[in-house]
Amino acid sequence: MSNPQADPLLQVETTCGSLLYELQIIWDEVGESDAERDKMLLELEQECLEVYRRKVDVANRSRAQLRQAIADAEAELAAICSAMGERPVHIRQSDQNAESLKEELRRILPQLEEMRKRKSDRRNQFLEVQEQIQDISNEIYGSTQYISSKTVGDESDFSLRKLEELHRELHELQKEKSDRLRQVQDHLCTVNSLCSVLGVDFKQIVVEVHPSLGDSGGPKSISNGTIDQLDAAIRKLREVKLQRMQRLQDLASTMLELWNLMDTPIEEQQIFQAVTCNIAASEHEITEPNTLSVDFINYVEAEVSRLEELKASKMKELVLKKRSELEEFCRRTHMVPEIDSTMEDAIEAIETGAVDPACVLEQIELQIAKVKEEAFSRKELLERVEKWLAACDEESWLEEYNRDENRYNAGRGAHLTLKRAEKARALVNKLPAMVDALASKTAAWEEERGIEFTYDGIRVLSMLEEYTLLRQEKEQERRRQRDQKKLQGQLIAEQEALYGSKPSPSKTQNVKKAPRMSTGGTSSRRVSVGGAMLQTPKPDPLQSVKATPRPSRKSDRGHQNDQLNPQDDGFSVLSAGRRGLDIAGLPAKKHHSFGTANVREIESPMMRVPFSPISSTASSKANMANLLDDPSMTHSETLQKTLPNNNLQFTTPSKTNYMADEENKTPKALPIPVPTTPATVSVPMQTVTTPAPPPVSFGIKVVEEIPEEIEYSFEERRAGFVLPKTHMKSMIQV
Amino acid sequence: MTSVPSPAPGRELSNPPSDGISNIRFSNHTDHLLVSSWDKSVRLYDASANALRGEFFHGGPVLDCCFHDDSSGFSASADNTVRRLLFSSNKEDILGRHDAPVRCIEYSYAAGQLITGSWDKTLKCWDPRGASGQDRTLVGTYPQPERVYSLSLVGNRLVVATAGRHVNVYDLRNMSQPEQRRESSLKYQTRCVRCYPNGTGYALSSVEGRVAMEFFDLSEASQAKKYAFKCHRKTEAGRDIVYPVNAIAFHPVYGTFATGGCDGYVNVWDGNNKKRLYQYSKYPTSIAALSFSRDGRLLAVASSYTYEEGDKPHEPDAIYVRSVNEIEVKPKPKVYPNPLA
Repeated sequence: MSNPQADPLLQVETTCGSLLYELQIIWDEVGESDAERDKMLLELEQECLEVYRRKVDVANRSRAQLRQAIADAEAELAAICSAMGERPVHIRQSDQNAESLKEELRRILPQLEEMRKRKSDRRNQFLEVQEQIQDISNEIYGSTQYISSKTVGDESDFSLRKLEELHRELHELQKEKSDRLRQVQDHLCTVNSLCSVLGVDFKQIVVEVHPSLGDSGGPKSISNGTIDQLDAAIRKLREVKLQRMQRLQDLASTMLELWNLMDTPIEEQQIFQAVTCNIAASEHEITEPNTLSVDFINYVEAEVSRLEELKASKMKELVLKKRSELEEFCRRTHMVPEIDSTMEDAIEAIETGAVDPACVLEQIELQIAKVKEEAFSRKELLERVEKWLAACDEESWLEEYNRDENRYNAGRGAHLTLKRAEKARALVNKLPAMVDALASKTAAWEEERGIEFTYDGIRVLSMLEEYTLLRQEKEQERRRQRDQKKLQGQLIAEQEALYGSKPSPSKTQNVKKAPRMSTGGTSSRRVSVGGAMLQTPKPDPLQSVKATPRPSRKSDRGHQNDQLNPQDDGFSVLSAGRRGLDIAGLPAKKHHSFGTANVREIESPMMRVPFSPISSTASSKANMANLLDDPSMTHSETLQKTLPNNNLQFTTPSKTNYMADEENKTPKALPIPVPTTPATVSVPMQTVTTPAPPPVSFGIKVVEEIPEEIEYSFEERRAGFVLPKTHMKSMIQV
Repeated sequence: MTSVPSPAPGRELSNPPSDGISNIRFSNHTDHLLVSSWDKSVRLYDASANALRGEFFHGGPVLDCCFHDDSSGFSASADNTVRRLLFSSNKEDILGRHDAPVRCIEYSYAAGQLITGSWDKTLKCWDPRGASGQDRTLVGTYPQPERVYSLSLVGNRLVVATAGRHVNVYDLRNMSQPEQRRESSLKYQTRCVRCYPNGTGYALSSVEGRVAMEFFDLSEASQAKKYAFKCHRKTEAGRDIVYPVNAIAFHPVYGTFATGGCDGYVNVWDGNNKKRLYQYSKYPTSIAALSFSRDGRLLAVASSYTYEEGDKPHEPDAIYVRSVNEIEVKPKPKVYPNPLA
């Protein structure tokens, strides 16, 4: 309590001692009793004690306060540290270091201060991050949904980990935001492309979803709602697109069908190329702007309806076209279309509007398909039939040839005729086998199909039968003739014995053709076959009387002609024509029986025996000399010779006959060719398979100059165009 | 069927070119007629109205012309240029050049290209959609064995006839080399080549009164169908006179064709049936070119001396447009005893 070193205390001590002394003196003076004195002193001592006690109490209290302050500071410090997730820096050292309380407090306070500052910094950081999170969340979830509970948040945790967590959260949100932005952007792109394809206003659609999406620069709404709405918009647009695409493709296919049907010209089609090229495209392949706009679809629709109208108007035409196609096909395959009468009815019905032309068209198409199918099954047999018919032609030609008195005359082309005869004989030998094979094949075919195999409406089996009959009869005829010949020989011998001279053999000058199987005209076949059957065996009554069945090997030609009874005009003039041919020396001579076939069978030019080779010098020289470009120019002897060219129908020498037979069978239309009169009559071309012969005299001299120098066209000559020298060499090499 | 001589050779167009006519062509869409001439002009006529609708003058004689669409056409000139003509504005621009006079020109709708043949022994393809200027429009140059004399197109096929009787057949989709190299079946210089409208072959005429009918298909069956025939000849005092066949034009509907020769005659033929269908009365001078209108109802005939006998006095150049009677161009199939069609 008393500090001996402290001066004031010492002074207090001294002052107390002196005061006590003074009191003693006073007392002595006063003469206080000792008891009184003791009492006073005790009082004094008690009072002093009281004062001491008070002071100690005060000091004690302040110490306690100090301790409290330190503890508080430490507690706060600890709290902050723990909040910040840091280890407290100051571990209580005061115990060891025996610091005074005040020092300790002084040491702690700045630390506390520092920590507080750091805490507030940290807090600010938190706030900042949370604010950002809040912002983004608002953007994403909409301002109402996300309650900012976290922002107010508990103060207890400001740790770095927490901060990191928040940062992470922020980062995620940012990522989500950018994802969404991209998503929105994607959606916008999709909407844009859809809109462009559909021809819809993009802005309008987008602004409807969210106004912010409309302006290109500013921030775009990325909320769930917006995205959902965008999604919905896209779905809607896509549905519309699909619908329209379906519509357009339907239109396109209709259009294609119509084009096909009506042979619409390419130029017209090209305009709608954009439509038809998408006909099989899937939805995502259609990206061209406006391909599905309402306007465009309407445009296409208009075109389709235009085509439909056109089709309706053309329907009849189409039906006719299809029908002629069908008939053409039938003709080519030698079938008889079974539809003639019904077709006429159908067409009439179309005209009156009673029947839907499409229906008829379909029907015809069905028929075409059927006929094609049948034709396929007929193909092999048909080839055989053709071959047989060709052989028959050769046979009849051969017969005719055999009857020709002059056949061995060494005229032009005689060697070729000989060659042909040789071939024909070989062919004729094979004929019976051919007929048998054909008959059995045909029978098999008929068996299999249960229908008759017809050729141009005539049953092939009956044709074959007729042919066999005819052949047999011919055989008989031949035998009879041989007998007659012999008989005649005897008669002549008798006459000679009587009168000493032989009758002129020229009495049978009029060489007649044996009726032959006509290969051409569809219905005339039956007639001509029948005709041949009737005609051939009809013998001269006189001769038949004389006929004796004595066979003779020799001279079976020439004299039999009288027995044949030609009824056809075409045939009656044949001999004259042939003679004309012979004089002209044309190679046509050997063709004349083919000529008939050629002309009649226009529908099968492919099957025709090609023009037999003509030696270019011989034939074309002859042609050059005799042929005229224009038969109507001069109706002279030369003309008559010229006409029976390779290609001529009948071997008639005069055009009038050909006309009568070929054109319309009415002689009144015979045009008599007059020079400079343009002809409407079709005239056969002067075809030659080989190119022109060497020099003929030309009206124009250009050609003749060709071999000597470089050729120039008239235009080059006129333009004065001359080949540069360097080119010349290569030219000549060529 | 009457064989009355056709009274007139057709309506003569007024304002004809003042010099030789090199080609005439009907439009694919209208009855407009494009005419190129040695008087360095290209003229556009409305054939049905007999009116001159446009005139273009070039630096040299114009050897050929063709339509692009109804508002534009092309011309091939002896001044080596290939030009585009705009009818509406009466303007023209140079599409490109050859190294020698350009003899013939064709526009392919299938390829969208213009094809020109020149005496510089090349064929050139042009894309007319490019801006003008050779480097932008030229698609390719294809050397030919000789000077090109005639071109014809059908679909993607191009037939090129040159001097030296060469015939090259191209596929427009692959121009790198000819699909077929042929020699003319005729022995003399080729005058004109024209494809059949059905695309199966071509007709080729020579200076020696002959026309060859050829087929693209190289199979034996197809080649067996080919043939040649004589025409445009006459005999005078025992002497044969043979005239060049300058022009061939196929009828767009029936596939029959007309030929025109230096004898001044136009003949109509049916190639399938090997028949001559009709002969028109003689024109004043050589037939230089022929063209059927798009529907085949009109036939334009250029009667114009083709310089076959050098410079000499001759009849004035004229274009006749005649309406075609169906009977003159319709093939006449044989009469069937049992009429089917």
